[in-house]
Amino acid sequence: MHAVDTPPTRATGAPGGPGGPGSTRPGARRRKRRNPESSRLPWLLAAPALLLLAALLAYPMGRMVVLSFQNMQLRELWSGAAPPWVGLDQYTKVLGDSVFWAVVGRTVLFTVVSVTLTVLIGLMIALLMRRVHKAVRMAMIVAMMFVWALPALVQAQAFKMMTDSNIGVLNYLIDKLPGVEFQNHSWFFTPAQGWIVITACVLWAGIPFLAITLNAGLTQVPKELLEAATVDGANAWQSFRNITIPILKPLLVIVTTLSVIWNFGLFTQNWVLRDGKPEPEFQTLATYSYLQAFAQNKYSLGSAIAVITVILLLGAMAVYIRQMFKIGEVD
Amino acid sequence: MKRKIAVAAALAASMLAAAACSSSSGGDGGTVSADKTVDGKGKTIKVWLMVDAQSGWKSVVDDASKRFTDATGANVTVEYQQWANVLTKLDASLAGTDVPDVVELGNTQFSKYVDAGAFAEVKKDTFENSATWLPGLSGACEVDGKTFCVPYYAGARVLIYRKDLFEKAGITAAPKTYEDFLAAADKVQAANKDPKFGAVYMPGRYWYAAMSWVKASGGDIAKKEGDKWVGQLSSPASQEGLNKWVELVKKYSKADVTKDEADQYLVFSQANAGMFYGNGWELGSAEQVRKDPNDPNSALVDTKVKGKLAAAPMPGIPSLLGGSNVGVPVKSQNTELAAQWIKHFTDSTSMKGLIKASALPNATALLDAAATDNPALAVGAEAAKNSWAVPASGKWADVEKASVLQNMLSDILTGKKSVADAAKAADEQIAATLNG
Amino acid sequence: MARDASDQTLTVGRSPVGSFFANLSGSVFAIVMFFPVYWVLITSFKPQTEWSSFTPTFIPDQPTLDNFKSAFNAPNFQQSLVNGILITAVAVLASLVIGFLAALAVARFRFYGRRAIILVVLAVQLVPFVALLIPIFLMLQRAELTGDSIIGVTIVYVVLLLPYTVWTLRGFIAGIPRELDEAAMIDGCTRAQVFWRIILPLTGPGLVATSVYGFIQAWNEFIIINTLNNPENQNLMAWLMQNQTSRGTYWGPLMAGAILTSIPVVIFFLAVQRNIASGLTAGAVKG
Repeated sequence: MHAVDTPPTRATGAPGGPGGPGSTRPGARRRKRRNPESSRLPWLLAAPALLLLAALLAYPMGRMVVLSFQNMQLRELWSGAAPPWVGLDQYTKVLGDSVFWAVVGRTVLFTVVSVTLTVLIGLMIALLMRRVHKAVRMAMIVAMMFVWALPALVQAQAFKMMTDSNIGVLNYLIDKLPGVEFQNHSWFFTPAQGWIVITACVLWAGIPFLAITLNAGLTQVPKELLEAATVDGANAWQSFRNITIPILKPLLVIVTTLSVIWNFGLFTQNWVLRDGKPEPEFQTLATYSYLQAFAQNKYSLGSAIAVITVILLLGAMAVYIRQMFKIGEVD
Repeated sequence: MKRKIAVAAALAASMLAAAACSSSSGGDGGTVSADKTVDGKGKTIKVWLMVDAQSGWKSVVDDASKRFTDATGANVTVEYQQWANVLTKLDASLAGTDVPDVVELGNTQFSKYVDAGAFAEVKKDTFENSATWLPGLSGACEVDGKTFCVPYYAGARVLIYRKDLFEKAGITAAPKTYEDFLAAADKVQAANKDPKFGAVYMPGRYWYAAMSWVKASGGDIAKKEGDKWVGQLSSPASQEGLNKWVELVKKYSKADVTKDEADQYLVFSQANAGMFYGNGWELGSAEQVRKDPNDPNSALVDTKVKGKLAAAPMPGIPSLLGGSNVGVPVKSQNTELAAQWIKHFTDSTSMKGLIKASALPNATALLDAAATDNPALAVGAEAAKNSWAVPASGKWADVEKASVLQNMLSDILTGKKSVADAAKAADEQIAATLNG
Repeated sequence: MARDASDQTLTVGRSPVGSFFANLSGSVFAIVMFFPVYWVLITSFKPQTEWSSFTPTFIPDQPTLDNFKSAFNAPNFQQSLVNGILITAVAVLASLVIGFLAALAVARFRFYGRRAIILVVLAVQLVPFVALLIPIFLMLQRAELTGDSIIGVTIVYVVLLLPYTVWTLRGFIAGIPRELDEAAMIDGCTRAQVFWRIILPLTGPGLVATSVYGFIQAWNEFIIINTLNNPENQNLMAWLMQNQTSRGTYWGPLMAGAILTSIPVVIFFLAVQRNIASGLTAGAVKG
């Protein structure tokens, strides 16, 4: 199974930096020569995309910022009247609210734990896939493909059904263990257990992408290099650390950041598992701001929360942007 | 101050605009009256009803629509809404131009929209039985002597129990007092040793139930003192009620404390509990289920408890009067026609149909007739006479949406907070929301 | 013992004990992963009395197709199916065409502002779309593209897919050696001919991967459409979401609905799964 079959990583390239410095120079020279005649064409090509992004991303983002300095509620929504300006009121309300900070802390903690686990387990599975019999590998891949292909909503509903206190198969199976009384066990009785279920659902859903991608990346690790290392007396851990990891690094950065973005925006799983009205201890930033805006009709407060979320995320993702930008630069 | 005037002006302007747009608005200063003859030929009105009508009494809806069409010549499209997102949908629709002409909302949700000026004033006495509308329903419609919606149907919660298990435990009659009820629970529990069995099925986030216990002890959710709302849950009487309810849950219930009552009749039909506290219609739903839940006309399938259930008023516990009202949004383009449809939909003929379908009618004058026409309703009709309603505030719907009461109950039952602490926290949130 | 053995050798696979444990854990992993999928499948074939039982059956006692019939005939299912197909097809096609042009500009031309475009495309991928729901809702609502109209939500999906499409296709286009273009130009091809004869055919796999990812994104989305549109004009995923929160959950029909909803995605996915992983990580592995 070689998922990365398009432009493969050249093993000869310096590990860690995709594309050697040598590849940029001739290209740059040629481009410079072509520059004057074609400065309008690329803009023309990009224009539709940029216009759409401006209309449906930039403008709403501006609107969101403006909204966050106003106080828009139902009356304004219906009448179309301009909402009153309230300055920084919404921000002081949000930032001074301990509930909000608890939600932020919970979202960050969940992101850190779930991403760490997904990446670690994904990597372990990817390594495992290279050591098992062909038939077992096939079974693993088929199982993962089915999970990966399921819509997130269905994944969450499956977990909701299986962890139901009355008809859930999980309680039934655990109860079968000798000496364990698990009938009617409520998985959301304590936040800890509830979050274990939510995290398990996210892990289950997220591991296939990680494992399959990383497994594809592992095929890029030259066998000769590993064998040479063994001859030189390196143990498994050493060759993993010093050969495999550096080659996998760019891939790991991407999958980790993607996981961070996905898990930070956790909505579907806790929303579905808590029946569309998560208790305070199961709220994340996404559900919290959605409920504030659309259930409580505090559109401005919701906007302020959204602005803060974007700023937090941009701050945390600066590294990712830089990494991606570097990749964008070299070609 | 300036801000308030601006809002009021904007609102007035929007109402004027709506009035100007409506094709045949009456001359009663914007009040919609239902006693005129309206020619609606070639017009179609859009009606939003909740799914209950679709699954419970679609024939009543169809019949009322037919009589409406015969009278006015206008057509009707009925769209059935889900409880989970109807308010969000309504918010969105009212902001646009494609507004439904008739909207059903739960009686505890209506005040918010009446308060925000979303519904047109209707002329009360042009609707049948309006003199004896159930106060628990019409309360949400009436502000300063003006009426903004029409009661549609009611539901009251009753005790539903397993006759066979009562017999097995040596109980001969339905409990008459709260002590009787507890004694019965003890006996039923003692007679059934299965660890999964609970004498009373009471899910932990069932706030309608918990608040009824609060009311029974003389407590309240919130009270208006001057022009401010004050949470009452931490008052001694309320706490006593909460404690009583929590005791009941802990002692007799094996229900999931993190669930609400939405699927209680389904769980109960698995024959693992002796009693539950539910709407009158839940008795039938627990005994028989539709073979195809998406098709209200499909065959009924018996459950494990078929023929074993009976209902009685919950002794000593006043029921929260649930139910729905219907109103005409100010932005509707067909307010007169909409009022005509409501008139047909809430008249005595329609109410008879509702009674047949085991829903309580909208007026006290009809309650006794309901009890004789449909014995299954007798208990509910009795409970409806002894019922209460949530605080009459336009912001109450926000308290419900924020799940304040459910979260309080979860906090208590999971041991996160004591009754006193949880009640105090809920009081603060309720006061902040209602006064906000 | 087993640990000692594996420490000594490069691959666990070389020691029989290690190999046994590797195969065992691999098999267990596959079973655990597949179990929920299996459970969804069998629940959809169980009659009401069976799926609501406290004692679950691991193979349906009385398998039935009623749940599928129920889901298919449920209110709004068929309209949602049509909507889902329409919205997804239009959104994917539009984002592909528009995104391809922009990707071409960024990958094949060096011009003032290129860096800025790349930065924008990267940064907007970080913005949680739910956060923009309020202003987008207000805006489209004013334009009367919400409620019963699926135009608004389609446009939103195009924008949702666009940044990813541009970024991925850029990677694929950049993977085509520039020398090919230049050789063709020397042979007398115009720029348009270079595009039609070289770049477009060679980015074929990239277009497939991107469109499949886009298809899945658009098909699986339910939060935006649920907020923008009326219950009668949802896509299948939003229909599935709403179907669950009425009075109690009817797991049998719900899971049947979930399967009907997932089938297109699963088919697409399995057909082109190789390209998906490469698509998602195209930026990272290209050198």
